[in-house]
Amino acid sequence: MSTIQISNLHYQYPTSDFQLAIDQLSIADSLVAIVGQNGAGKSTLFKLLTGLVQPQKGAVKINQRNLATLTPEERLRTIGIVFQDPSSQLFNPTVEKEVAWSLSQLESDAELVQATVKKALASVGLTKLKDQNPFDLSLPEKKLLTIATVLAINPQIYLFDEPMMSLDWPSQRLVTDLMQYLAQTGHQVIAITHDMDWAAATFSKMVALAAGNVVFEGTPTNFFSCPEPVKKAGLLPPRIMTIAQEVFNDHHVYLTPQDYAEKYPAHQ
Amino acid sequence: MANYQKLSINQLSFTYQHDRVPVLNDLTVSVPLDHIIGIIGNHHAGKTTLCRVLAGIVPHIIAGNLVGSCQLGDQSPVQDWPAYNQQTGFVLQDPHSQLSGLADTVADEIAFDLLNHGVEETAIQQRVAAVAAQLQLTAQLQQSPDSLSGGQLQRLAIATAIVTRPTVLILDDPTSEMDPQGRSDFFNWLKTVTHTTIVIVSNEIDELCEIADELWVLEKGHLVSHGTPLQVMNHLSPKWQVATPTIYQLASLMNWPLATKPTLFPVNFNQLRRCVNVNHSN
Repeated sequence: MSTIQISNLHYQYPTSDFQLAIDQLSIADSLVAIVGQNGAGKSTLFKLLTGLVQPQKGAVKINQRNLATLTPEERLRTIGIVFQDPSSQLFNPTVEKEVAWSLSQLESDAELVQATVKKALASVGLTKLKDQNPFDLSLPEKKLLTIATVLAINPQIYLFDEPMMSLDWPSQRLVTDLMQYLAQTGHQVIAITHDMDWAAATFSKMVALAAGNVVFEGTPTNFFSCPEPVKKAGLLPPRIMTIAQEVFNDHHVYLTPQDYAEKYPAHQ
Repeated sequence: MANYQKLSINQLSFTYQHDRVPVLNDLTVSVPLDHIIGIIGNHHAGKTTLCRVLAGIVPHIIAGNLVGSCQLGDQSPVQDWPAYNQQTGFVLQDPHSQLSGLADTVADEIAFDLLNHGVEETAIQQRVAAVAAQLQLTAQLQQSPDSLSGGQLQRLAIATAIVTRPTVLILDDPTSEMDPQGRSDFFNWLKTVTHTTIVIVSNEIDELCEIADELWVLEKGHLVSHGTPLQVMNHLSPKWQVATPTIYQLASLMNWPLATKPTLFPVNFNQLRRCVNVNHSN
């Protein structure tokens, strides 16, 4: 399991007043949700975690190594990102070539590349579409394709920016299962999300951002038991909590309907 | 014979030009006008194509072979598209692609269709201001549409669609880029829209069950179920792989059926409140 250590990180875009400023943040859990309103700094944090932008101050360390000192190859093997808009990371003429592209930068054994690509496509259910042009795919398929491109590299850390957005229900379940499998097999999965029902049901740690600062880090149960950071981050609690509050005047924390059913006898 | 009080689709099939397989397959359904219809289904179900048919974009702009009929009140998007189009607002899945691209400001973008309709200047200003207020865009009126966030762009696309006061509003996944509060505000606003037939494609099943009069379930181009959210959610086939609302999941787990219909579980707040009141008073 990897540990990401952020200290005194400061970043400001050249053309806007927005500033991301994080004093200390340590991420060592296997399933982490980064939450907050639009403009809170979530995507900027992802760009800093992948080295797409460089901080003006401070550093990101992964397993005690400064991200800025990693070679491009080391970086690819350490951290992979699935962008919110899949079109921004697709450019090859076929689905298969798209998945093979990044891996080919790291691996010269053509047979190994081919076998890995095959496995990655099968993991996201896109085997049948391997000869299609990525731009002919539907939006959910494009999103699954971008996930396959990162799976093929098999980095230690996976970053997903709004992975549930634009996916239909079966694809959402597939991606959630895949993330849980990755976490169980020693990877770290970090996802930006607005979907609090999904975050509450899936992640063991939540980091909430508001106006470029971390306003909470801890478990989903702790997060949703403190109305202040939830409100500060511009979020709503999971729907099951709204139902309990509005219908039963019950202000306990519930993460899912199953959680409610389990706690129901004790709360009566 | 046409029923002028209904939205009626009769044996409707559609195949895109250059495709062999129909995207919509023999759809027949009718609902009263001024209802809210939620369309659900997984990807490749035909949801967007059905929206395009209802908006007249298919087959008038995007070509293909359309069979069967589609009638909204006294008009048809297939037969009398120019007249029908005057009464229809359509919000595309991708808001960027439906803006004129010619307007320097959000206000000008909202006013664009009104200018084309020959509405006078004072009325335009009033209507733009009113629609911007409804969709929380007042602070952005003098900004460039290019400067808006994804959620704001979706609200702008909705504003441009409703400013002409359409009697039919077709919304294809209009909240996909909104944050949770924006989405909640949008669905609350949608409930307040009156005298309009609203067709909305969305994955937000909890919200749809709160606001929709009728749900249509599409699977691989077939209309596999339609009826009230209560009826549809209680009779889903697992093979359709459709999400259920949290209230339905909770009531099923807790075995809280409706008092009046003990074989059905509630799907929205009003139904849950009624069934819980009865259970608690027993």
